[in-house]
Formats: sequence, structure tokens, C-alpha cells
Amino acid sequence: MNKNRKTLATVLAATTLIVTTLSGCSGGKSAGNVAGEANGGAANSGTNSEQVTITHYTIDSEDRTFIEKLIPEFEKEHPNIKVKVEKAPYEQFDSKLQTLIAGGKSPDVTSHYGYGGFAEYYNKDMLFDMTDLIKEDGFKAADYNIPDDLMKIYTVKDHTYGIPVNMYVTLMLYNKDMFDAAQLSYPPSDYEDKSWTFAAMVDKAKKMTVVSDNIAKTQYGVDFTWAERDMRPLYFGAEPYSEDTWTNGGVPSETHFDSPKVIAAYQKLFDLIFKDKVSPNSEWSKSVAGQNGDPFVAGKIGMSIGGSWNLAGANDFPFKIGVAAVPWGGNDKVRSTLYVDPLLILKDSKHPKEAFEWIKYLLTTDVQEKSIELSGGNPPVNTEAAEVYYKHFEGIDPADVKKVYEGAIKYGYESYNHLITNYSQINDMFINEIQPVETGHKTLEEVMPVIQKKVTEIIKR
Amino acid sequence: MSILKATGSRPSLSRPRPKVEPVKVFSFITLVVTTFLMLLPLFFMVSTSLKSKREMLKFPPTFLPESWQWSNYKDIFDTLQFGTMYMNSLIIAGLSVFGTLLSSALVAYGFARYRGKGNQFWFILLLSTMMLPYPAIMIPQFVLFSKMNWIDTFLPLIVPAFFGSAYNIFLLRQFFTTLPDELFDAGRIDGCGELRMWRTIALPLSGPALATVAIFAFIYSWNDLLTPVLYLSSSEKFTLPVGMASLTSSRFRIPPWHLLMVASVLAMVPIVTLFAVAQKQFVEGIVLTGIK
Repeated sequence: MNKNRKTLATVLAATTLIVTTLSGCSGGKSAGNVAGEANGGAANSGTNSEQVTITHYTIDSEDRTFIEKLIPEFEKEHPNIKVKVEKAPYEQFDSKLQTLIAGGKSPDVTSHYGYGGFAEYYNKDMLFDMTDLIKEDGFKAADYNIPDDLMKIYTVKDHTYGIPVNMYVTLMLYNKDMFDAAQLSYPPSDYEDKSWTFAAMVDKAKKMTVVSDNIAKTQYGVDFTWAERDMRPLYFGAEPYSEDTWTNGGVPSETHFDSPKVIAAYQKLFDLIFKDKVSPNSEWSKSVAGQNGDPFVAGKIGMSIGGSWNLAGANDFPFKIGVAAVPWGGNDKVRSTLYVDPLLILKDSKHPKEAFEWIKYLLTTDVQEKSIELSGGNPPVNTEAAEVYYKHFEGIDPADVKKVYEGAIKYGYESYNHLITNYSQINDMFINEIQPVETGHKTLEEVMPVIQKKVTEIIKR
Repeated sequence: MSILKATGSRPSLSRPRPKVEPVKVFSFITLVVTTFLMLLPLFFMVSTSLKSKREMLKFPPTFLPESWQWSNYKDIFDTLQFGTMYMNSLIIAGLSVFGTLLSSALVAYGFARYRGKGNQFWFILLLSTMMLPYPAIMIPQFVLFSKMNWIDTFLPLIVPAFFGSAYNIFLLRQFFTTLPDELFDAGRIDGCGELRMWRTIALPLSGPALATVAIFAFIYSWNDLLTPVLYLSSSEKFTLPVGMASLTSSRFRIPPWHLLMVASVLAMVPIVTLFAVAQKQFVEGIVLTGIK
């Protein structure tokens, strides 16, 4: 019996030892501890004497975590502020953020890097209103070379909730080798070139498309992945969400997905696949490029319309590429989608003032220029730093990149995923519902009324 | 001439050839084909892990690497803090296995060997915890652990294992109930206490069941992604799945699949080793049962 007790005691002791040793490893630097200290010192925060730690929550990938390298310089300039970077893989970004906030460990600074967008954060009341802070500080967007139009994106009813830091646009990448083989002239990078229309693009695409029984020989002229699926009608001038969406924090009073105009717009895009046969269907794309891959990268597509982040990988492509303007599709105002990522302060932040200092630091021309190299090609909002960005890509004429960017800003519209509430749910639903059309099993007339009904339900949630 | 003749008319072997059953041939061929199909993804994993980034993008994909990039296996240690992450995963998984075995075996022993009031009720209550999906307890558990100041430590990933898990308890209980009462009676006559009977009779006879639980617990902990993501915030404490998920995290880049495959090949090693070891334990467990 004694021996039994001894055994049990040994096991318990060993367990306790392991547990305490492991908890000892943690030191005093966890986000938990920081927030804990902050609770006690909240009244004093902002004074210069007290040292404050702020947390910047971001995605765990090289093009986001490069900010860690900027911290030492910032801490030197601001001895009272320490910055800690907390990170999560892309897929888990939203769930970790929600858990941190619900668990009372809210980070101070973040952006909408997951599936959720700005409007979703805004409507969930997660964001800190920076308006007073901006006034008090005398912050002017012009001092950081941020165009005023971009500042407006994250301003709702005259209150500012986010400051832009990176700006991606929609552009066209083209495979020069494929153009040369088909003896075609390259598409223009100038948005004012009136000859560059959707029809002209289809024309060029037809000349490059080769459909063969041998999958290795098959290639398509164009892959049109302009914006998220629900935004695509806008390219042809059809608006699926009512005007008030953009002024009241992303809650549309009406949606028009079953309207003839919207359906006709989608029809034009699906015609690329099923009528003109110049674009691959989704099954072919998947088989050629694998999971979340891009058939353009595999060298199977002549022209690819997509986000400017595709440029960041350009130096690895096994063929020569160029950039061009998105052709004119019938909407005089909108041709490019903008993806402007803001820096946000979360409502539960204990140190908004210090968080704002860090945000301002990340926006300065010097730091924005440095960030391009460190991140491997993130496009800055700072127009002066953008000059460095245009020159970043091997084998691509900086003048083309600049023209495409300037045109995109002139004819750009902020991506719906940042502007509409409950967007991750809308997007998931949309992808599921429209899939039978993409595979050719259903018609738009069958699918769009269902989408219209479901969007309405999701928005009301 | 004579030689030619001799080889031309080779005398048939005197032993009769075993009769070939068509069914057996068919099943053998089916097995070979299925094995090949099953091994194909594994083959591609190893093959991709040895390709260059450029070759990885090629279509149609090459079967074997054109140039063998053994340096990929070195690069993974530079890209990620791979060694640290590997060690972290091993420590967490190892302690989780220990904790799971200890707690689940104790509780299961109780459920299997004792009849008490409400026995059935508690057991059903225990099993019903299996119905709760992790997201349902995610936030309350996070709040609890953060109040205990356990955030950014390994504790939330290890300690719960020391409190048993319904599935493993169920599995072990079923096994313990099959052990004959005579053994325990004999133990009692020899003056064994309950704990000693658990340790010297029940546990040694449960090799196969314990090995199964150990494999389950190890694989669960080794593959777990969400819990480490929630509780760990310093890079040097990240586990392997977190690091590997981060490799494909960029929405803006082509993921380095070749390096991810290197990580996958190396991540497989402990599971394959454990399986090999535990399989031996399976057999020994049966041999040593001692009841005929």
C-alpha cells in the first residue's frame, strides 16, 4: 500500500515539476501579461515616463512579419514604447483575433488581413474611432503623401477608423513569350488608350488559345479574375448593391443580383469560357495549377487580370512578363479594383495614443520605402515611396508599372470585401452558389435569384 | 549441336508447380495496384521536396526531379525556425501522450472495475463531452487559461491531456472490462492494493490498447494547429503545424511548396517511428497476455 502511495506521489511530483518548469519558460513577455499590466496602469498611459507595450497583430508570412525588423529603430526613437508582434497563419487569422478580443487580450494595432473586411469589423464595433486622436496630433495625410481619396475609404460619417498603409490594384499581367509566339503586339499600359477594350482583349485571346486533347499543349488567351465574384458586374457598369452601401458602414438597403443588367454582365464573363472559349473553366484551372494555384504562373494563360500582388512573385516566373492596363469594359468610371489595406486600432486597445505613434512611423516615406524591399514588394500608399516600388520588378519597365498604377487609381474602386458587412459569409455563399455555373451545370437565370435571396438574408444578420 | 539440343529441350522440373488460383492472382494484382496508387502521393511528396522552385511550377509536373535539390533539406532550417519548432512539437506531443495515458488509463480502470451508484450516469456524461465541438469551448477555455496567465506557454497544450479524454477513456474501459476477474482476485489474495493492481496487472496486459491510445494522442497533438495558434505568440514557441501553415500564409506569393514538402517528409518521421514501435508493442501485448 505504501509503495502504491509512493508511486502515485512520484507521478504527481513529476507532473507538477514538468508543469512548473514549462510555465517558467514563459518569462514575463506574453501578450497576456502586457494586458494585465496595462489594466493597472491604464490611468497613466500616454505619459512619457511610463513604458508601454503595444501589440501589432498580423499574418505570419514574410510579406507581413517584416515589420519586426522595423521595431528596433522605432523603439530607439520612442524609448517609452515597446512593440510586440503577434501573428497567426492566414486561415486562422480571424478566429485568433476574435478569441483574443473575447478573452480580453485584444491587440492594439492590426488590419483586416483575414477573410473579414473593414465593414465587418466596423459593424461588430471592434474599431477605435481615431478622429479625436488625429485632430489632437495634427495628423495630415498629405504629410505622408497619402492621397485624400484613399483616406476617405475608412472614414464613415466623418469619423476615421483606419489609415491606409498598402495599396494593391487590379492590373493585367501578360506572358510575353506567348504573345511573341502568336506574333501579337503587346497590350498597352496606358488607361487612356481608347482602342484597348474588352472586345480587343477577346480578339487577342482568341489568337493565343489552343485547345487540344493533350492537356500539356492546351493554353488559353485570358483568365479574367477581376475582383471578388460579387463585384464583377461593376466592371460592365452594373451595380449589384444600392448606392447607400458606401455611406452607411456597408449595410446595403437593397441588392440587385437578379436584375437583368447584372445577369447580362455575368453572362459576358461566362461567355469567355463557354461561348468564345478563350478562358479556362475552373476544373481545368485546378488540374493545371493545383490547390489555390494560378494557371498563369504555370505558363498556360496569355493574359491574366488580377490583383497586383501577382507582381510580387514575378521574379520567379519561368517566362517573360509585362504589365498592362485593364481593358475598358463599358464602365467609364471603374476599371480597376483597389485593395487598400488600412492600419486599424482596436477598440479594446489600452494604449491608442502609442499605437497611433507606431502607425505614423509605418507611414513615413523612409519606412515605406524600406518596407518595399523588406516585404518583397508590398505596394505603399505613400506616393513618394511608390516611385521605389515601380522599379522593384526585374525585367518589367518601371514606366509601365507606374502608368498602370496611376490609371488604376484614376479608374479604381475600393474592393467590396472591405466595404460590405458580413462579407466573409457573402463571399463563401457566392462561391458555393455560382460554382454550378462555372462548371456549366446550371444557368445564371437559375442561380442568381437564389443568390439574391441569400445575400439579403446574410446582410440582415 | 548437342548443347543446343540440350537447352532446346530442357527437361521439366520434377516438382509439380503449385496450382495458380485465378482469384488469388486477381487479388494480388489489385493489391499491388492499390498499393501503388496509395504510395503515389507519398512519392510525389518526396519528389517535390527535392525539386527547385522553378521546376515545382512546371506543367505537366516532372515525375522525378530534373536536378536534385538536396539543399532544400538545409534551406527549411533557414526559412523557418524548423529545429526549434520540431523540438517544441516533440516536447508537447510527448508530454501529451504521457498525460493522456496516465489519466485516461486511471479513469478507465475505475469505470471498468467498479460498480457504484450512478456509474452509468457518469459514464454517459463523460461520453457526451465528445459531442462538444472545439469551437464551442474555445473562448471560455481561452479566458480561463489567460486568467491563469498561461498564454504563450506550453501549458494549455499539455495540461488538458492530464485530465483524460472521453474517447480514450472509452477505448481503454472497453479493454479493461475484458480482463478476467480471476487475475485481480489473485492479486487481491496476494495483498495488492488497487493502484498496484492497476499498475502491475491491468497496465501490462493492455499493451495493444495503450499503444493505440498513445498513437491517437500523439497524432492528435502532433497535427493540432488551432490550439497552438491561439495560445502561442512568440515565434520561438511555435509548433510544426503553425510553421507549416505559415509557409502557405501569403495571399500574395506562390507558396514554396517544395519546402513545405520537405517539412512534411520530416514531420512524418516521428509518426512512422511511433507506429513501428507501437506495432511491436501490439504483438508483444498479445503474446504476454498470459491467459490461454
